[in-house]
Amino acid sequence: MSVIMILFTFLGGITLSAQSSINGSFSRRAGTIETTLLTFVTGLLFLTISILFFGHGDILDIFKAPKWQLSAAFLGTIYLLFTVVAVPRIGVIATTISGIIGQLVIGMIIDHFGWFGSLEIPFDTKRAIALVFMILALYFIYKGNKRAN
Amino acid sequence: MRYLAYLLALLAGSALSFEGAIYGELGKTIGQLETSFYNFFMGSIIMILLWLFFGKGKLSYTLEAPKWSLLGGVLGVVYLTSIVISVPFVGVGITMVAVIIGQLVMSMVIEHYGWLGSKKTKVNKENILAVISMIIALIFIS
Repeated sequence: MSVIMILFTFLGGITLSAQSSINGSFSRRAGTIETTLLTFVTGLLFLTISILFFGHGDILDIFKAPKWQLSAAFLGTIYLLFTVVAVPRIGVIATTISGIIGQLVIGMIIDHFGWFGSLEIPFDTKRAIALVFMILALYFIYKGNKRAN
Repeated sequence: MRYLAYLLALLAGSALSFEGAIYGELGKTIGQLETSFYNFFMGSIIMILLWLFFGKGKLSYTLEAPKWSLLGGVLGVVYLTSIVISVPFVGVGITMVAVIIGQLVMSMVIEHYGWLGSKKTKVNKENILAVISMIIALIFIS
């Protein structure tokens, strides 16, 4: 069961890269804001159907949820908007790896301070070594991209 | 401009981490699929406003564009749903590692073959070294 789940998430990663690429090429003709808008609207249509058939929770509880939890919607918008801007300029690989590094660094900071009710995992030597390798990866990508142009 | 694009991509990833942590909490109150729905609903509103005031592109291109280029939104839903389903079974750590490896492999394949309208760039030595460095970093984190 676990192996199937891991493969399923692997597929999730694949779809995220495919999305970056598709949106990058769509934005060349339609524009950045227009591409992000279309992504949200089509996703919304798809989820409206899903929620009607498979939703277990209560969407109306949204009015009872703390406001800081609702602010995450702005972050999702920033993610899509910035990805659409970056892909046509530096390519899918560079955008993906830079995005992952941003994700991991912030992830480690959130873990270290235990923000948002998450488990508190301190920043240690192992994580510092990981950070060095991430910076190295960013350097390789930048160098490879510079040579390709 | 190129430096700026790297910076934007880094910030995009950071936003994704904050978003994940916060939505994890929201999901406990209103349900996971409902959280995704809320995300896309609010995102649509924010983008309609931005588009009304700052949209300089051509939204009508949507109707002329090849149909595959309209699939970005659905792919985003697949990603979010796969995360939500997988986390309770294998945990956040392994889930993120699997997602990242999927992203790395797929982005190399897409650029190498020039799929989905991306610029065709043969995978070079630096790309492979970067992916190896990322895998080492993941081993140290998890």
